[in-house]
Amino acid sequence: MMKKGFIVLTLCALLLALAGCGNSSTNASGGEKSVIDAGAGENATELSYWTFVELHGKHFEKMLEKWNKENPDRQIKLNVTVMPYDDMHNKLSIALQTGTGAPDIADIELGKFPDFLKGTPQLEPLNDVIDPYRDTIVQSRIDIYSKDGKNYGIPTHVGASVAFYNTEILEEAGVDYTKIETWDDFKKAGEQVYEKTGKYMGTADTSAAWQESMLLAQQGADFTDESGNPKINSPEMVKALQVLKDLQDSNVIATIAGGQPDTEEAYGEYNSGSYATAFMPLWMMSRYTNYMPDLAGKVAIAPLPVIEKGMPRSVGGGGTGTVVTKTAKDVQLAKDFLAYAKLSEDANIEIWKTLGFDPVNMKVWDMKDVTHDPENEFVKYFKNNPFDVLNEIRDEIKYVKSVPASPTINNVLCTVTLNEIFEDGKDIKQALDDAQAQIEQELQ
Amino acid sequence: MIKRFLYSQKVAPYVFVMPFVLVFLIFWVYPLGSSVSMSFQKISLGQESQWIGLDNYTKLLGDTIFLKAVMNSAVYMICTLLILIPLPMLLAVLINSKLMWGREFFKSSLFFPALTSVVVAGTIFRLMFGEMDGSLINSFLGWFGIDPVKFLKGQVTGFIALLALATWRWLGVNMLYFLSGLKNIPDDYYEAASIDGASAWQKFRMITMPLLKPTSIYVLTISIYAGLAMFIESLMLWNGNNSPKNIGLTIVGYLYRQGIEKSNLGYAAAVGIVLLVLAMTINMIQLAFSGMFKKED
Amino acid sequence: MKKEATLKMNEGSAIRVKKGLPLKIGLFVLFTLLCALILIPFYAIALASFKPGEELIRYGLNLKFDLSVMSFDNYTYLFTGQHAYFTWFFNSLLLTVVQVALTLFISATVAYGFSAYEFKGKNFLFICVLLIMMVPFEILLLPLYTLIFNLHMMNTYSAIVLPGIASAATIFFFRQYLSGIPKEIIAAGRVDGASEYGIYLRLILPIMKPSFAAMAILNGMNSWNNFLWPFMVLSDERKYTLPIGLKTLLTPYGNNYDLLIVGSFFSIIPIFILFVAFQKYFIDGMTAGAVKG
Repeated sequence: MMKKGFIVLTLCALLLALAGCGNSSTNASGGEKSVIDAGAGENATELSYWTFVELHGKHFEKMLEKWNKENPDRQIKLNVTVMPYDDMHNKLSIALQTGTGAPDIADIELGKFPDFLKGTPQLEPLNDVIDPYRDTIVQSRIDIYSKDGKNYGIPTHVGASVAFYNTEILEEAGVDYTKIETWDDFKKAGEQVYEKTGKYMGTADTSAAWQESMLLAQQGADFTDESGNPKINSPEMVKALQVLKDLQDSNVIATIAGGQPDTEEAYGEYNSGSYATAFMPLWMMSRYTNYMPDLAGKVAIAPLPVIEKGMPRSVGGGGTGTVVTKTAKDVQLAKDFLAYAKLSEDANIEIWKTLGFDPVNMKVWDMKDVTHDPENEFVKYFKNNPFDVLNEIRDEIKYVKSVPASPTINNVLCTVTLNEIFEDGKDIKQALDDAQAQIEQELQ
Repeated sequence: MIKRFLYSQKVAPYVFVMPFVLVFLIFWVYPLGSSVSMSFQKISLGQESQWIGLDNYTKLLGDTIFLKAVMNSAVYMICTLLILIPLPMLLAVLINSKLMWGREFFKSSLFFPALTSVVVAGTIFRLMFGEMDGSLINSFLGWFGIDPVKFLKGQVTGFIALLALATWRWLGVNMLYFLSGLKNIPDDYYEAASIDGASAWQKFRMITMPLLKPTSIYVLTISIYAGLAMFIESLMLWNGNNSPKNIGLTIVGYLYRQGIEKSNLGYAAAVGIVLLVLAMTINMIQLAFSGMFKKED
Repeated sequence: MKKEATLKMNEGSAIRVKKGLPLKIGLFVLFTLLCALILIPFYAIALASFKPGEELIRYGLNLKFDLSVMSFDNYTYLFTGQHAYFTWFFNSLLLTVVQVALTLFISATVAYGFSAYEFKGKNFLFICVLLIMMVPFEILLLPLYTLIFNLHMMNTYSAIVLPGIASAATIFFFRQYLSGIPKEIIAAGRVDGASEYGIYLRLILPIMKPSFAAMAILNGMNSWNNFLWPFMVLSDERKYTLPIGLKTLLTPYGNNYDLLIVGSFFSIIPIFILFVAFQKYFIDGMTAGAVKG
């Protein structure tokens, strides 16, 4: 019976193939796209790196080339995996807890970072490699990735929040953005814009709390109290939302597809000129250059409006802490490379040049030849130079505490509360009280 | 000796069913058992777990988000039953009629969506139901002078998108189920009814419907199961497990959120047990009502 | 001629034609509209595959036939670009073939055991088969996950294949099919001196061939589209299957929408071709479960 023999043979072959697949090492076929050689030789150590932002990989690629040239005996090959935000953090969390399958190096977003610091963090403390650079970098950006004096994450940027104005729309409405200093000014300008152009001045964000953190920082408040307990229904928070709700009611701001400026749908809305302003951390610049080509030469950067003059005009927003995991193949190599790639002066200059971020080494902010390089794509894209604004507000940049409750607070605000307030018109105090109760229940 | 033993007629059947027994024990009984025991513990991967009795369950009862998830799953299940049983049955009867032109073509076309993966289908529907006025559904509505709708931000509209996706994928399959049921109804019944002067509607009521009962029960059973366990559709439609105001959160979504996203494994296990009990109970009641057991035993 | 059913009119043929024609046209129009509705998403994604991905995310999926933004760029990128799409595609293909072959063989074996023999515990075991058809697999996700972890099988294809290798629905279907095969064949085999296993492999398996097609398609579809469990088990991008890979493209930080759209559409094409070629088996396979009624 030929046929039977054939079937059995096929099955055996398949079983073998299966076993092979099951046990094959990570060097299997395919995926060329993600391994960065960067001039590494035969003996290079292969390190794996997970991120949710493809561009971060590009930055590492540049730094790796320099590293491999300077350290011929400690060369590295970087194996980059890009995953969507949620999936990457979930997988990383599981991999770390189970002690298997974690990469050597990973990006963890600020909003998720506290989850990774619970209990005994499965991350390597980075104090020793940060120390040589400690004096040059913004301390608060290290603190947000730390626990009990140990620094677990290396920051990428300051994330100073600013206002991005589409000057074409403002000029059409006869508004001068440089005159906008307070939210009242913003409201008047917005009413004028709506009246003249029918367009909205800004967005009422439902899926991100950037604006709330800006307004809280202006009042010297935070989402949590000194001991890290959530206080979402504080008078300051009510005030913040009242300001925004009033803007929404006056047709100055409106909800946007995607729920906040940093989503693919919103990029489209901005690009086609439906909204004039985005209040976002500075890293939003790279979204403009990447996704909103139509606005080149039209967008100006300015300090945020404040509730009352004299209040701080910026807050650090977002951020990614790059970590080395406990299971890393070569911990010291990973740490040294990471510090080199993100903290050295070269790295900080590169972070501005490639990623368009405001680097944590503030010395770079003063390097005119770097920050005002006329060939830089970000300098070319925007009407004014971002560093002129950054240097104006550099002493006013507050930061929001990152505590164990932060991920829960953020989740409740951005899935439930802000939607209730801006989409359904629910009473602000009521919505915030409900949020507080919900957060407390979830934290139990 | 061993060979003789293994080849004997007494032992052979056990060898044949052995793979099932192994899979059943390793991948069903053991996980199910550990699921039950996990549900009585506070447990995180890689950390000491502790027994906390019924705490997870009592906490579930007061967990508004969990109740929301149960509501969503239940409503979704009921809606799919209301749409995906009568409609496919009617279509099956119509398409089976002698008056139908191009039967095979229509059958295939209606069935084809079932072959796409949920990931692809979900992405397509996510884009179709986008809130921009240029997206497919909103541009249709625009023809009728209706303003763009933010489908995926509202409870009702979000469910419309979910149900549209479910109907699109399963209409054709369920229709085929009913068609195969129709094939088993002998022609003589209809001929006899015609002689007695029965109208088309009477024939449908008195012959087709009752004789399609076994098929209906089958479709009902799998639909209850699929409705209660729905997750990926919602995950893809909202591109994540966090829909605005949790309008798309399902029981399995909550299990995923607690177990995978927050690593509360014990709590998540309790969610799973509740789902199991719910699915079993509903299906048992349903089968008892439809007299399935009496017929089988 | 069993097919005719309820709408059959009175037998007088002259009346029937008169009455039937408007009905015929009505039915035809109804189903044409319905099919158009069902096929719109396919048309939309096909159209979209010729447009830049960003365009779609911005404006949503629509039916605008706008030649000025349409090009073959996405296809060029799909076939020549630097990406892992075809790695995923190949992984999916391999996994599907392996999974189908193993599941069919093992499930058929088990079904034969149930159908050909009387043995102690048979009824109990068969009730177990029916029972696992009623347990939502999703509730096992977490314990199964820890199990796979403890067995050091994370990130392997075995972890995906093994739990489903004795598929309850497939066993059930094969047992139904086997109950139609005369027991004399087995008896005759024994008389000829064949072993119990020889009888199964040489005599029964070949007879079962027709039922394999339907089950191959049912299991193949499930495997090709399987998402949640593989998604949890696999963490290495180079081992991803197509649905997992496609999902990773859905992020605002990746600039991968071109590949997402064209890749999604392209993933439908092979199924479509197979479907057109083996329509009957697809339909039999998908409805196989309902036959028990």
